[in-house]
Order: sequence, then structure tokens, then C-alpha cells
Amino acid sequence: MRVYAPVGAVAPAAISRAVTEPTLAGKRIGILDNSKPNAGLLLRRLAESLAARTGATVGPVERKNAALPAPDDLLARLAEAEVVLTGSAD
Amino acid sequence: MASRADYDVYHHRISCSELRPVPFGLDPPPIRIVGQTDPIGSRLEGMANPLEMLDLTSDDPEAVRDCYAERGWGDGLPLVAPTPERVDAMLAGCRDDPDESVAVLPPRSGVATRRVIAVNAVLAGCRPEHLPVLVAAVQALARPEINLRGVNATTHPVAPLLVVHGEIVQTAGYNPGLGAFGPGNVANAATGRALRLILLHVAGAVPGAGDASTQGGPAKYTYCVAENLAESPWGGYAASVGVAAASAVTVHCGEAPHNFHDMESTDPAAILDKAASAMTSLGSNNAPVSSGEFFVMLCPEHAAACDGAGWTRDRVASYLHERAQMRVGDLRAAFALRAWAPWQEALDDDAMMSVTEHRGNIKIIVVGGPGKHSSVIPSWGMTRSATVPVEV
Repeated sequence: MRVYAPVGAVAPAAISRAVTEPTLAGKRIGILDNSKPNAGLLLRRLAESLAARTGATVGPVERKNAALPAPDDLLARLAEAEVVLTGSAD
Repeated sequence: MASRADYDVYHHRISCSELRPVPFGLDPPPIRIVGQTDPIGSRLEGMANPLEMLDLTSDDPEAVRDCYAERGWGDGLPLVAPTPERVDAMLAGCRDDPDESVAVLPPRSGVATRRVIAVNAVLAGCRPEHLPVLVAAVQALARPEINLRGVNATTHPVAPLLVVHGEIVQTAGYNPGLGAFGPGNVANAATGRALRLILLHVAGAVPGAGDASTQGGPAKYTYCVAENLAESPWGGYAASVGVAAASAVTVHCGEAPHNFHDMESTDPAAILDKAASAMTSLGSNNAPVSSGEFFVMLCPEHAAACDGAGWTRDRVASYLHERAQMRVGDLRAAFALRAWAPWQEALDDDAMMSVTEHRGNIKIIVVGGPGKHSSVIPSWGMTRSATVPVEV
């Protein structure tokens, strides 16, 4: 007997990922802290470590609520960086 | 712009034994749409029936469950086989294009058409008269204030509560009275289950992939109730929030109900103080999230006691806002991570603060039958309820 699959189609992505930077030298590493415990500490240490190894600089650093989308003005400030580190869960 | 040829829609026949577990939510879905540029929320042009079909050897509900489970589908319970005949019957009263997108649901960005909704309605055991409620519920879930991505992704056990209002409560057989939260009524049970199946299948809210809830929760199986309009002294809830339709649904993303009872009081204050006690818990997200809503589901006898003393719905909400307060210092000590308004952060530790910023965040609905048990349904916090008309 024939039955439907229950999942349906997937809509296209509204945005695409940025092209990966070939090198971090001279680039800015931004941080988007999502307020989860220790996220800011982890991301800053990671950014500082990467910067020390590659010649990049750290900043800007922004913080948002984990449960809500990042506001447009915050994203605009982060866009000054070529690379942004984010993502931490509990 | 995608052309018709870009759509690779296929129905292929596979046996149950050929199905393999798929890390659902991570891999592409069974239907492939190549080069699709259709904007979110619009019609899927040229896709008359963009759903994959499977061949099963049996329509036994347990066999359907087991076959679906191999793909990471289903809720663990036996499923009604969604044959084309059953899905067509579910859609028989639908005047709109069944393949038009009703909403796109995160995190999977699944396109909920009426046909997909109908498939899940069949799986859950719904009747055709329940479909308009489900379509409206999906429209509500997609409202930005619901924040469905967060609702599905959080570690909190939040589940969307579906409240059915108006004429369709009677015409489609929903239970607003004794035992309204269940079990025992087909409409309440099956509609709530179908909404969860839509979240699992279309939205991708699968535990571990699209749902991070630490412990899960029983409300994630089915969570649908009807408003007891006949015994509401204040008229219907939907009209009170500006939705003047003959039928409507409200979606509130919250916890399972927290009961409170008062067997002896006729004084509204004494009854509502118990509701306020249930609202002032460090265990709910309303404590660290000051903008969260509470749904207070009053039983008819408690509502009648309030009305008998001349209390309106707004007065009940205002009283609860005034009484459901906690000491600011206790809240601060409990939660380093808070989402409070700046003026609340400025309060002294010894100040008392309502557990929700505004009395408008406290919603009053009459639900249930004889007896003196009511309930408080706290919010996940970062979400707001939505009430939308049901188009019959």
C-alpha cells in the first residue's frame, strides 16, 4: 500500500554563509556572545589564541540573549569584522 | 529564477525494508527541490504534489509506526496510515489550494502546505472537521512573536498549547468542559497530537536534532484544549484580544499546567491568591524572564465566584499582577542570567516585583467542568502568544 511521507519540502535558505577567509592575518575576529554560561570566556580565549597565531586582531565583541535573534544594529556592528566566532549551548 | 525543470519532484517506490535511519534535521529531506528560489511563505509554483510516497506492506498502525521510526519519524505511538484516499478525504472540505504554503516552520524550514498538514492530521487520528483548526494553529506558530525557532531549540520543556475558541468547539467536537486537558476526547487528543507531529516532521523539532529539551515533557505529545465559552462570565477570550471571528485558536508556548485548588472560598481574592502562589515560583522561566506571559485557566466555578463579586477579566489579571510578586533580591540571588527590563534591574533588593512586567501578560480563559481546580500555565519566556481566526 502507498502512503505519504509526512515531512514535506524545505524552503530555500533566506541567506547564505559568507565565503571562508583564506587567511586571518590582518583580519578582525569578532565575537558574538550568546550569554550562555562561559560563552564569552570561551570565545574570547579562542579569539585571542587565533589572533596570537595568525596576526589577526580581536573585536568587536557583542552580547545577545540566547533565545532571541540578534538585533540588526548589533549585526551591523559585528559586520566590521571579517570573521565572527559564536555559538555556545548548555 | 527557477524554471519548472529545476524542480526535481519524484515519487519513488521503496519498501519498508529499504528504509534506513536518517539523522533527521541534518540531512536533506526525502523530497529534493533543486534550484528553488520561491520566497518563504509563498506558493510552491508548479509543484502539484511535492510529497514523497512510500510503499508499505501493511496499513497496520503499529507497522506504520515502525516503518516511520526507521526514518526518525513519528511520536512513538501507533499511526494511522496516511494513504492518498485518507488524505484526500481530510482535504475534502478545503477550498484553498492544498499545495499552497501556509507557513515555513523552523528550524528545518519545512514548508507546511495544507496537504502536509492533512497527512499529519491523518497520522494523528484527526477527522476532517479538525483540519481548519490545525491550519490556523500552524499560521499562529509561524507568527514572529511566537519565536518558534527558540521554542523548538531550547533545553526548556516548552510545548505550544493550542486553545480552541468559538463555534468550532461545538461543530468539531472539542471538549471545553470536564477533563478538557484530557484524556478521552478525540478532537482535543488528535488535534494536539497532529500539531506535535507537524512540529516533529515539518519543523524538524526532533529530540537531539531540532529539540534540545533536557527532559522533554508530556505536553509534547498532545496539548490542545477548548475554551468553555458557555460558562465564561466574561465572553470569549479571542474577542478580548481583538480577534472577533466566529472561531479562533490561541497558541501559547508554555509549560504543562500547574494546578491550584480552592474548595472553600467565595472571595475572589482568596482564590486568586492561590493562583498567585503558583505563579511565584523560582522553578518557572517567568522568574528570570520578566516579559513572559501566564495563562490562567479558571474553572467555571472559580470564574463564577470572581464574576459574582463583580470582578471583570481585567480586574482578575490586575489583581494577579499585584499579588504575584517576589522579592527582587531573592530573584537576583537565584538567577545571574536574567532578562529583565532596565527599570527592574534598577530596583533595590528589598523591593517587591511582579513576576511579569505588565498585567496584560496575564491571560484569563475559562476551561473545565464541575469542581474547584484551576491551573496556571507559565511561559517559556521568550515568546508571546498568538490568536488567529479559524477559516472554516
